[in-house]
Amino acid sequence: MANTELKSDNLFEMMKAHLASDAGKELTKKIGLVYQINIAPKKIGFDEVSYIVDLKKGEVTKGKYEGGKPDAIFSFKDDDFMKVATGKMNPQIAFMRGAMKIKGSLSAAQKFTPDIFPKPAKM
Amino acid sequence: MSMRELVTGGAACAVPGSSSSSSNPLGAFANALIGSSSKTQGVLKEIPNAAAASPHAQFYPHADDPVAALPGSELDRPFLQSNPQGSEFIRGFRTADANGLADAWEEIQRQPHFDRVYEGATPAPPIQPSLDGPPQRVLSSFLHSFVDSSRSGIPLHPTPLPLLGLSQGDKQCIRDRSSIMARHIFADKSEEFINAQVNALLSSLEIENDIHARGPMPGRFRELEDYWNESQGVLKPGAHAADGWVTEFSQNRPHHGDLEAWAHSFEQKHGAGGWASEFEQMDIRSNLALSFLFFPLLSRALSSLYVHEQAQLTSVDQMRGGNIESLAAIQQTRMLAHTLSQNSDPKFQNSKFLQFVSKMSRGELIIDDNQVKPASENWATEYQQQYNGGASWADEFVHDEASRDLVFRGPDHWAIEFGAERLQQESVDDQWVNEFSKLHADDWAEEFGHQVGERALGDSSSDNWANSYDEFLNEQLVAKQRSDASRGVYVFSDMNPYVGHQNPLKEGQELFRKGLLSEAVLALEAEVMKNPENAEGWRLLGITHAENDDDQQAIAAMMRAQEADPTNLEVLLALGVSHTNELEQTAALKYLYGWLRHHPKYGTLAPPELANSLYYADVARLFNEAAQMSPEDADVHIVLGVLYNLSREYDKAIASFKTALKLKPNDYSLWNKLGATQANSVQSADAILAYQQALDLKPNYVRAWANMGISYANQGMYEESIRYYVRALAMNPKADNAWQYLRISLSCVSRNDMVEACDSRNLELLQKEFPL
Repeated sequence: MANTELKSDNLFEMMKAHLASDAGKELTKKIGLVYQINIAPKKIGFDEVSYIVDLKKGEVTKGKYEGGKPDAIFSFKDDDFMKVATGKMNPQIAFMRGAMKIKGSLSAAQKFTPDIFPKPAKM
Repeated sequence: MSMRELVTGGAACAVPGSSSSSSNPLGAFANALIGSSSKTQGVLKEIPNAAAASPHAQFYPHADDPVAALPGSELDRPFLQSNPQGSEFIRGFRTADANGLADAWEEIQRQPHFDRVYEGATPAPPIQPSLDGPPQRVLSSFLHSFVDSSRSGIPLHPTPLPLLGLSQGDKQCIRDRSSIMARHIFADKSEEFINAQVNALLSSLEIENDIHARGPMPGRFRELEDYWNESQGVLKPGAHAADGWVTEFSQNRPHHGDLEAWAHSFEQKHGAGGWASEFEQMDIRSNLALSFLFFPLLSRALSSLYVHEQAQLTSVDQMRGGNIESLAAIQQTRMLAHTLSQNSDPKFQNSKFLQFVSKMSRGELIIDDNQVKPASENWATEYQQQYNGGASWADEFVHDEASRDLVFRGPDHWAIEFGAERLQQESVDDQWVNEFSKLHADDWAEEFGHQVGERALGDSSSDNWANSYDEFLNEQLVAKQRSDASRGVYVFSDMNPYVGHQNPLKEGQELFRKGLLSEAVLALEAEVMKNPENAEGWRLLGITHAENDDDQQAIAAMMRAQEADPTNLEVLLALGVSHTNELEQTAALKYLYGWLRHHPKYGTLAPPELANSLYYADVARLFNEAAQMSPEDADVHIVLGVLYNLSREYDKAIASFKTALKLKPNDYSLWNKLGATQANSVQSADAILAYQQALDLKPNYVRAWANMGISYANQGMYEESIRYYVRALAMNPKADNAWQYLRISLSCVSRNDMVEACDSRNLELLQKEFPL
């Protein structure tokens, strides 16, 4: 059992497998960027957990990026990240509302769309 | 173009090129108030701090207190540190810009705006002041006839009135305001006519008129300067009690009661049911006219920066309530709008995004936690509903009260509150403050403005942003309805035909069996409305929602079922599954453990003390023991499968579900669970086979259709996924997840035409385009 309570953990775990699939390989071809995503349980900037979504290599790793600078760094609350990843909230709107903070290149951030995340199926 | 747009220099005024004024005298006026646009441009580069350079912040000098109390306020600009700009501002009035200001003023005078307010309203009541009765009635009808005379253009004749006993203060108030107001309501008339009208009014009321003594229009700048001086006075250290015009406003009132100030002050003077009640019964035209009459000119110019003219009463009240944050947000958006307007891409210029930002900057839209709401239109509508003859205020209020259970925190909240005469004034204010503190205007204005300035956005990206705004606006419609369900409150459908049905539970069970899920929901809702303690009604309602792919409603219903029957195993399992779907581990674990504890056979396995500190490993161990105890019990394997999903041990979960399926091969929901597990472990091809099994057993299983779509989408087969989503939505148009996923898939195949259909929820068109 994961030791955290983040909903986002599930999604990143799913994404690890997803990126290995054919659809995931398409994504790396299409985007080819490295994102760091910081997830905070309650408030952005506090107790953040970082994930690297490397859409160059097609990898998802926990922890800060080592080996340079990611193309863009996003910060979310857990709930807001889930909303963005499942299409409930559009990234631009999240940004507008302050639910998503961006550092780095905005043009790289533009490619950060909900379709890079696999959708969880429901039992 | 409304006057406010002109005054505030909205998008239409801020087009590139027309930097300052010449073509637009009102723009000049606005610039005189706001600061020249070139100054604004310079300021933009240094947001947030330089925002204080905008002189009109001067008018809200005590704003720093509430702002400072808010989280994130360290990002807010200082309000009080711009005295140099302030003096520049006042100098602008006295010297260079004086002509421009005068021109602008003349232009305002000519605006047909107020006439338009009169048009399209109900036919004029007869201009027959009844000149007897109690004094306040006489005064009321006399003032009405003054206002009405503007429409007909009939000169008002001095009329002998009975003794009204107006105090010196009343007289002064009426004199000052009527001379200002007359220039609005008689905007199309000559100066002589206006003076004659005012004189007639004043002499009838035995008020000494000094208008002539002051020359033709001495009141204009005197007013402005008075307000300025007052606000300057307030700016002096230690004297930041209230903003200038608000102080002035308050001083005009004998008591500091709540707003509708003028009406209330009359009520206080002349007794309840006097003019104040008259005031409420008047149609909206006179109401507006009279409210203008008694609100200072400058306050109108300023408050119209963020609230529509029609919202005068509220705007003043809101200001007084300390909602300065809204102005901060608007200030930011105005600057953003200006930067954006410098982008020469015509697509961008016409985009709804820019319009949106402009609207924000003018305060027509404000952002709530989940929704954008039109600040003024909403309000104006409410207002009209309240005051326009037919729909009585009482009905409106009763209706609002009734719906308050459902729409607990909706955006029209404050409008309702206003209708309720601010009984809960404070909470409304808090709400505003919260809304705007959530906006983080500084943040995004800074970042976005910066990036736009650097042209970091390519051509296509401005389209992206523009599109996202269309999206955003559409989302809001849905968000409003769904926000309650997301908080675990069951939301009943409107207009339920099964209410009054003899046996809605039986009907609901029958419909559920036939697979008519959305119909079954209605029947079952009728049942639980009739018998709120019927656990079976709630349980089946929850199951139906889950199969209909609406988890929020499913959880809400199941919670009610659990309240009614805390030990029902099916309910506990369903709650465990739903929370697992929502990735809520703690809650899911609690219910699954509850299942074990309340099970007649396995309850002994579960030590009650464990319930307080549940660890996944313990629970999984207990369930494994149970499975060994009776390997023939499919239910244990099902719960185990759910548990393994929770820990993402998908292979084990798949094995458990397959074991259960050997025991229960016709359980369609079990096939779906297997499929979902396979899909989440990226075995989409297997998942599709499992879903197909489920659909063979239950063709109307919306969840399975939607899951099919997800599986195709996760494999990058967006075209296929669209067909399945559309199919699911055809069976349940309320399945929000499916709408969201459909939209993603549509954008992935670049079907922007169909994205529009998706946003407008045009199922017919989508079904035609994407048949299965």
